[in-house]
Amino acid sequence: MHSLLPTVADQLFRDIQKTYQETSQIPDDLLIALKFIFGPCALPALDLVDQHSVTCLSSPSGRKVFQVTGGSGRLYTCFVSCHYCPCPAFAHTVLRKNEGLLCKHILAVYLCQAMGVTQQDSVTDQQVSMLLSGTSTT
Amino acid sequence: MADILHVLFRSFMSRSDQTRALTASVTAPSSSTSSSSSSSSVLVLGDNSVSHSLLLLAAVTAASQLGIRVMFFTRTHIRRLPACVHKCVPSPSPESLKKIQFSYPRTVEELLQQIASLHESTSPCPAPPSLIIVDRLESFLCAPGVGSHSEFQSGEQSCAAHLSALLCDTAAFLTQVLEQRSSSAGPCRVIASFQSEGDAGQTGQESPVLDVLDRYFQVRCTLDQSGGHEAATATGRQQVWNIYLSGRGIKETTSTTDCEEKPGVTQEWQLLINPNGLMEFRAV
Repeated sequence: MHSLLPTVADQLFRDIQKTYQETSQIPDDLLIALKFIFGPCALPALDLVDQHSVTCLSSPSGRKVFQVTGGSGRLYTCFVSCHYCPCPAFAHTVLRKNEGLLCKHILAVYLCQAMGVTQQDSVTDQQVSMLLSGTSTT
Repeated sequence: MADILHVLFRSFMSRSDQTRALTASVTAPSSSTSSSSSSSSVLVLGDNSVSHSLLLLAAVTAASQLGIRVMFFTRTHIRRLPACVHKCVPSPSPESLKKIQFSYPRTVEELLQQIASLHESTSPCPAPPSLIIVDRLESFLCAPGVGSHSEFQSGEQSCAAHLSALLCDTAAFLTQVLEQRSSSAGPCRVIASFQSEGDAGQTGQESPVLDVLDRYFQVRCTLDQSGGHEAATATGRQQVWNIYLSGRGIKETTSTTDCEEKPGVTQEWQLLINPNGLMEFRAV
């Protein structure tokens, strides 16, 4: 999914990954860069990371999908290989107004992947299918 | 990926054009990440009856010439192959036709469910499809009630994003499965057709849904009949359609160059539809 991002954002996540592996922290300069590139969804995304809100669900077929628990407890299904989130902010800000690269849920997925703090869980093939098609959120 | 279309165009080139050495392909995935699917998708824009025939011909060509499995999603029940396919592929073998599986979802929700469950059939043994075709996206996306496909008032744009993203993600996963089984088996490609209201009404305006589709489909294949769209032949009037391949997934190479990559170039072909239904392609 990284190559879907502008080079500057891609490099930022690489820097975060490297620094976090070495120090278990994200220094201020990288946080400022994160805010600069992703704007208002940076801080809410960091909150989601703090709350361990991102889970990678895997099924026996090998299919994977990310599930992000929003601030209200609602579950959002995000895809592994391309940008999509069923949240209103993605529909409005990203798709309709083209004013943002990502919503806070997808940004949280990127951050958790970079920091290696994504939760892992197993589900059935049928459950993954329902999550992917949007017919189920659990 | 437009490679299927190029196989199609070259297979059915008009005879006067078959000596041309133009070859074209799309850019290879930029990395080994799972984003590979996004470069494997083509959106065919324009008249839906022509694109319907083009997609069927692509399916038959892929199955018979490349020997790959094809999933064909459409709302139009196909009781027999149209004349253009019979004219171009006079006697496809039953074995090759068995490689094409037609599916007729009635709503976008059913389409999403069927695409989302494609990974289930790959475990443990059946070979996954290497080509997923969706005929007339607009018949799913612009149907009444689509705006309420989620609880949010996201409408057609969000639904188009969901469907496109699911197609890309599914193709990426099936590409991994195919390549694990055989290094030469991948990738899994996606071809979908779409006719916006603007196309139908000739208003010249691009629809908001098309803006969304462009985010996910890396190659556009535009069918255009503007300007001198019919030509007289000995047997009647011949339709002439211009085909433009464009988008960030296209590169052009010729047999006389060093395969220099030219992202975003437009490639142009012509589609000639004879009165008897025969379709021929001509590189421009």
